[in-house]
Amino acid sequence: MHRYSATQTLLRLAADAPLVSNLGPTSDELWHASEGRRDRNFYTYGSMGLCSSIALGMALSTDEKIVSLDGDGSLLMNMGTIATIGREKPVNLIVIVWDNELWGQTGRQPTHTAFGTDLEQVARGCAIPKTATVSDEEELASVFTQALQEDGPWFIVAKIEERDYLPVAPVEPEMTLYRFRGTFVDRPIPMPSH
Amino acid sequence: MDWAETIVQSLKESEVSLVSYVPDISIYKVIRLIEEDAYFRAVPATREEEAIGIASGAYAAGRNAAVFMQSSGFGNCINALGSLCIAARVPLPMFINIRGEVGEFNLAQVPAGRATRPILDVLGIHYYTLDSDDRLADRVGGALKLCYASRQPLALCLTPLLHGGQIA
Repeated sequence: MHRYSATQTLLRLAADAPLVSNLGPTSDELWHASEGRRDRNFYTYGSMGLCSSIALGMALSTDEKIVSLDGDGSLLMNMGTIATIGREKPVNLIVIVWDNELWGQTGRQPTHTAFGTDLEQVARGCAIPKTATVSDEEELASVFTQALQEDGPWFIVAKIEERDYLPVAPVEPEMTLYRFRGTFVDRPIPMPSH
Repeated sequence: MDWAETIVQSLKESEVSLVSYVPDISIYKVIRLIEEDAYFRAVPATREEEAIGIASGAYAAGRNAAVFMQSSGFGNCINALGSLCIAARVPLPMFINIRGEVGEFNLAQVPAGRATRPILDVLGIHYYTLDSDDRLADRVGGALKLCYASRQPLALCLTPLLHGGQIA
């Protein structure tokens, strides 16, 4: 399974659900797959490890389904957040971990998942009730469809193979945040009274 | 109102209704008030950087959020502040209990405590030190208003002279 094609599949199923994407190629590919036009994409640019923490904060602030597109290397940096998700149990959170068993962008060094770390088992050990590991797009589409319909939180490890990267997406953080926020509130820029 | 009640009241006036925190005994009193008040969703985080992510996500979805932590853990969230909050202009009120202040007994807590405000300075993050009840509601309420008007993270540094709390 390849991330770009799988991202296109998720977008077809996700309808208007807000998506948060891990930094680097995951965000670039989400932008390309959305043809740069989806206001409900929250691309991250740094803060490696915080993708699913950001999604957790969103899930605790809306009733809508929130989807995190995280990565193995990033999540290994902040595994505590899996425990916080298991503790808070937001029913509307879906975490998808693109697991290529590599720190892809930094020179394809193998991550801990290449040596037996099983992030789905970590999630189960953190009391996340709905978990899965999938390795092809058909399985991913099937479990993601179920996750959009059933209460979670969901934690889905999607095993992928790395491909060459698409061009960096022409987006920036402040515009991303306030465009995204504007889909939740009428006045995304706070205007305090005098 | 005591210092903890004043902070809670100021948070409500700025419609801050989600608080993510890493526990600290010195400011336990204000965290307990938040935990017991149905207005707030309190989210204990495993690490300070995670709390920054949770609070930023809440803001992105339209809910104002703050974080509470101790200065010992402030260093854990420097990159999150730089590459998420400052970069995206997230107005994030941070309540930081400062170690290494008067009454400190543990030398290991002194360096990070003393470095917290200089680090905030080089990050360009505005902060106020709260070390007495004097005009506390004006200071906290005014700082929160500034935080949202400037759309940048802002720190309120709490010291033992404010809370008189146990240090651990």
